[in-house]
Amino acid sequence: MKKRWHWLIAMLAVMSLVAAACATDEGVSTTTAAETTETTAAETTETTAAETTETTAAEMDLSGTTVTVFGSESSDEEAGAMQDALDVFAEANGMTIVFTGARDFSDQINAQAAGGNPPDIAIIPQPGKVADFAREGFILPLPDDVLATLEENWDSAWVAFGNVDGVQYGVNNKSDIKSLVWYSPSAFADNGYTIPESWDALKALSAQMVADGNIPWCIGIESGGATGWPFTDWIEDLTLRFEGADYYDQWVAHDIPFSDPAMVAIWEEVLAEWNAPGNVFAIDGSIAATAFGANGQPLADGTCMMHRQASFFSAFLPEGTPTGPDGISVFYFPAGPNGEKPVLGGGTLATAFRDAPEVWAVMQYYASAEYANERQKAQQIRKDGELSGFLSANQNQDLSNYLPLEQEMISIMLDAEVLRFDGSDLMPAAVGAGTFWTEGTSAVNGDKSVADAVAAIDASWP
Amino acid sequence: MSRVAATILGIVVAIGLSAIVFIGINKLFDLAEKRFAIFNAAIGGAASLVIFGLLWGNRLIVSPLLVTLIAAVVGVAVGLGLGLVRHRWARLGIGLAGGLTLGLLAGSALRSVVWPSIEPLAALLGLAAGAAVAAISWQVARRETALVPLLSFWLATGWLFGGWLAADFDGSKAEVLLASAIFGLLAGIWVGTVPYPSGETRGGIAAGSRKYIFLAPALLFITATLVVPLARTIWLGFLSGTPRNLAWTGLTNYRDIFTDPGILDLSEWTLIFSSRLFWAAVILAVIAIGLGVWLGRSGGSGLGTGFSLNAGTAMLIGSAVVLFGFAVFSFIRGTIPNNLWWIFAVTIFSMATGLAIAVLADRAKGENVAKSLIFLPMAISFVGASIIWRFMYVARPPQNDQTGVINTLWVQIGVWSQSETASATISAILGLIVVGLGYLAWRGWQAGNNAVLSGSVVLAIPLVWIMYRFLGPGIGGVAPSPVTGEPIADPILFLTQSPWNNWWMMVVFIWIQTGFAMIIFSAAIKSVPEDLLEAARIDGATESQTFWRITVPQIGPTIGVVATTLIVTVLKVFDIPKVMTNGNFDTQVLANEMWQRAFTELNFGLGSALAVVIFLGVLPIIFLNIRRMQRERLG
Amino acid sequence: MTATTTAGRRPLGPRIYGFLRSIPTWVLWILVVLWTIPTFGLLVNSLRTRDAQRTSGWWLAWQDGANGFDFPTLQNYEAVLGAEATGGLANGLLNSASIAIVATIIPIAIAAFAAYAFAWIDFRGREWLFIGTIALLAVPTQVSLIPLLQAYSSGVRMTIPIIEKTVTIIPDMGLAGTIPAVWLTHTGFALPFAIFLLHNYIAGLPKDLFESARIDGADHFKIFWKLVVPLSIPVLAAFAIFQFLWTWNDYLIALTMIGGNRVALPATVVVASLAGEFGLREHLLTAGAFVITVVPLVVFFALQRFFVRGITAGSVKG
Repeated sequence: MKKRWHWLIAMLAVMSLVAAACATDEGVSTTTAAETTETTAAETTETTAAETTETTAAEMDLSGTTVTVFGSESSDEEAGAMQDALDVFAEANGMTIVFTGARDFSDQINAQAAGGNPPDIAIIPQPGKVADFAREGFILPLPDDVLATLEENWDSAWVAFGNVDGVQYGVNNKSDIKSLVWYSPSAFADNGYTIPESWDALKALSAQMVADGNIPWCIGIESGGATGWPFTDWIEDLTLRFEGADYYDQWVAHDIPFSDPAMVAIWEEVLAEWNAPGNVFAIDGSIAATAFGANGQPLADGTCMMHRQASFFSAFLPEGTPTGPDGISVFYFPAGPNGEKPVLGGGTLATAFRDAPEVWAVMQYYASAEYANERQKAQQIRKDGELSGFLSANQNQDLSNYLPLEQEMISIMLDAEVLRFDGSDLMPAAVGAGTFWTEGTSAVNGDKSVADAVAAIDASWP
Repeated sequence: MSRVAATILGIVVAIGLSAIVFIGINKLFDLAEKRFAIFNAAIGGAASLVIFGLLWGNRLIVSPLLVTLIAAVVGVAVGLGLGLVRHRWARLGIGLAGGLTLGLLAGSALRSVVWPSIEPLAALLGLAAGAAVAAISWQVARRETALVPLLSFWLATGWLFGGWLAADFDGSKAEVLLASAIFGLLAGIWVGTVPYPSGETRGGIAAGSRKYIFLAPALLFITATLVVPLARTIWLGFLSGTPRNLAWTGLTNYRDIFTDPGILDLSEWTLIFSSRLFWAAVILAVIAIGLGVWLGRSGGSGLGTGFSLNAGTAMLIGSAVVLFGFAVFSFIRGTIPNNLWWIFAVTIFSMATGLAIAVLADRAKGENVAKSLIFLPMAISFVGASIIWRFMYVARPPQNDQTGVINTLWVQIGVWSQSETASATISAILGLIVVGLGYLAWRGWQAGNNAVLSGSVVLAIPLVWIMYRFLGPGIGGVAPSPVTGEPIADPILFLTQSPWNNWWMMVVFIWIQTGFAMIIFSAAIKSVPEDLLEAARIDGATESQTFWRITVPQIGPTIGVVATTLIVTVLKVFDIPKVMTNGNFDTQVLANEMWQRAFTELNFGLGSALAVVIFLGVLPIIFLNIRRMQRERLG
Repeated sequence: MTATTTAGRRPLGPRIYGFLRSIPTWVLWILVVLWTIPTFGLLVNSLRTRDAQRTSGWWLAWQDGANGFDFPTLQNYEAVLGAEATGGLANGLLNSASIAIVATIIPIAIAAFAAYAFAWIDFRGREWLFIGTIALLAVPTQVSLIPLLQAYSSGVRMTIPIIEKTVTIIPDMGLAGTIPAVWLTHTGFALPFAIFLLHNYIAGLPKDLFESARIDGADHFKIFWKLVVPLSIPVLAAFAIFQFLWTWNDYLIALTMIGGNRVALPATVVVASLAGEFGLREHLLTAGAFVITVVPLVVFFALQRFFVRGITAGSVKG
């Protein structure tokens, strides 16, 4: 009896359980796809997916609504331009759109989705993650009108990146092109070099350069914990050229192992080009010691003639380096033996986590040409006349917004006969962001033979 | 400016509210003895508020604000009544009336989603179970408690489960009113039949509640943020699949962890014995033992075992242990050996450097400046640390100037080593220093000062080795080019060359943690009683003898505390490997592996199993430390 | 010991001897310099342009002018302070202050109550409860992040096994994405170490103090308030420094709990995001790191004098 109030606590505990009994019907019926309660998640998703088809964003009154967008663009230029482009749409509709960029976006979006606190829209850089999220029920399929806008503006090859098991989840946002060689047209002209049209011509050109006393390539693959990734881009580009898209797809899915003889041959082809005496600015096996971003300086000052890197490389050129015909320019990384012109691409995809008219309206805006135009304009202002670093493969955008060099890149993208996404982004992280990089680095360093390196990658495939 | 105001307001509200709640509860329970009615009224009101607040929070009642307010008022009234009235039947009346009122209030306000269709059988079963529990606890209490309150309490609980929760929620308005009225009546009987507490009981409430009040906030937070997630983690460790499709797979995750060659690779362990590190360790150990025994015999200042432990021999033994450890860990590879290596190296170096700085800075000129500068890295975030060490470690191709501090020095040493004149000059300077040290050793020997003697010898060893390298095989970051054979710069790839990249990352952590160890050691050293040291000095002990015989034993417990804290911190190390290599190039550690599995790949099962492995790894260390502390308190 | 004290002109031998005897003092300052070089390099580089940082080491900064780079330049600091992405730095610093102040004071208070109870209030199971609390130091806190985020975003629900009804224990309070979520998380995570440290100290206070206070009729609350808190100021300040440093410099917990709500993100996240993709703007981190280090340094210097005495009593008297 002395402990009367102990009973009170016990009572409260019991009652709290009861009080809460079966609150589920009320509590769970929010329309968020990422509802966390594991038991009810599947059903929730299905219902929302069905409902989405009926919403027609364009006719809705969006004023007063707020949409949150989360992405990997975090620097002032990229994130700022993204926000500027979104503000144009937000102001026109009297709504608020808030973009947040974070450096560890890839891990964070996982935590936010699994933790039940997802943004309304996430800009995801890996199609593999879009597929995972779609299968997990975190993200919603596009309603018809958004899909229509997307298909109207984007080539089906690009649209396919956001397609999971026949259902469209992603809206293309940014497009990167990786099959580029950076060079100085004036240096080429001075030496009488012409742009090679095939891999063999490229090899002959580099041999010619060595014979002329020039250094053909700037190559460096150091990138901290991601050291080795530029090597994987070379492998992917050559795989597309030598073995074709079907082989590439099977290889990315690991239906064809890394130890496949054709794959080993590609590795050796790359290493032969890299290790040929005098071929590379990073002399004597120091490729792995050379930061990938450190290639801008020697290319700009003419120490080396060529550098194969994706479209974003312009940002690594020294400040004030002119681009275009009178400065540093690009040519298409040449075709393979069969003459087909494949392009290795990349990019980001917008995906929706909440089913609401305002969210779909923003998604539709992402699919439109207006977004590409506004983003390009905003980013160029922020870059102060330098290359914007933002490319879109949107077919209906106004290309005149771009600087000439970036127009050229876009035309390479749009002309692509075969388009494939960066393979290491599609592989499981243990390989695509792990052993493919590290074993590639070992092979480049000569620490391991190609045979040992590819065997180690195969062994690490989960 | 409004953001500033809002932030300050937020801070004030958060802290103020916490303080008011805590102090308020303390003050409230102070009232229990002398002003029981007020206390009881507050408890009654609070109980109603909690219950109806929960209903509100679960969106189970209509017009929640009004209903909750009414309930709170009724609760206060009942509490006040029971706190004032001592007459038995009047108390029962108050309890019944209050219970019925609250029950009907709840019943009429509840939404239809919880209207039960009462099943008589289940209800009876629930009531019977309640009665049984009451009977058992009455027996356990040796029938000394009053039966009626006990019985009514458990009947109410039984009714709640049997009559309500077990039912389907498709009943009528009448049923929900009945269900809540019955519950209210039973609960009313309970509170109404509890006798008015005696003065002694009230005093007991006031005093006995303190431990709960003092512990409750901490336990609440710990349970919510650590215990429950830990339990969930242990559970998830037995599951596999994607976040929403987890299935029980038993110990599969643990089997996967311990059969993964990336976790533990013993295939090269025999190479330990052919490594130079190993033999250097053996040689150092032999020198240390020889020197120590010889000094112990001749100087007679040993620890009673004939072995002289002083700065010199301690450094030699320490170096031998470190070299031996590095020899072992550079050949036994994998995530777990990496973690052990981290623990071994970071703990030893952080503690040794921290202790050395604390001792050397003690009473030195500019002590505070020195200590602040050593502490500085602790104040720098990991974002800053990662960029700082980029500038230390970066390597550039041979034809470029190095921009990393260490590689610049290393290449420069290599350049000197290639040049005959530079080699000769450096060797001559080093030789002079060695001669000076030899002289110092001789003086120390004459003065019978073992510390000076052995310290000089120890300092001379690496200098002699460097001289040998300069004159003989060469040293530094210049190597013949594999292509042309010309000597070119050969910078170290600090983060990609396994296994030493592990060590370069540990250096960063040591850089940070030394400040932590130094501050704590410094404080401990300052607390060593001055008279003890004076007495030792008067007895003619040298500085080093005073240190080993008085200071070290006095700060013994601190060494334990620092070691434990460091080991715990190191086993959970995560930021540095994640930022610097992300676990690539054989630098994986358990915490980063866990992060990658759980967060990067959303493989909660495997990630959780790894977390459990870390937890179980740290647990024994903490347990030992607590036991040691408890023994000290008792002894 | 005697050789160095001889007065007057000393012969060469003893002078060399004295010089060499001072080796330990040099060692101290050599270590201090070694420890400071990395940070000093960061300071110098924060005043250099990106291309200058890339092409030569910071010790060659004095040649920057000759190489066509500005030095010293404040352009990195301008870029950092003027950052607008991720909410901007001023906003981030405010959020950091809010997070660090509350997440320092509240855990200290809670841990002090608990440490007092563990040390001076007798109750059954005290030792085991204490051991259990401290054992939680071993939990890798990252595992708590997702469950906590779930609790903040959608409440806590539990399914009662037999009757198969789901029960909401904590309703959805919309805490996810807000600073209070970070407060709660930091508070919980800090408690095992805080209780460990404070308990060591508080348990070591002399017993007679408490007995005489109790004879005077003081209750636990009064003893705690009037006796324990004033006597424990040193250890409280000591823990305050550590906790402030950790919460101010924390990146992961804040980012996870706040996620895409950029107005609430702290300065560490703002600065980290300046680097951009592929570390394009990584040179800005030099200036950013300095800007966010200023505040913890001020706190360290302000509390340093308590700090030294604080840990002592706790850890030494154990």
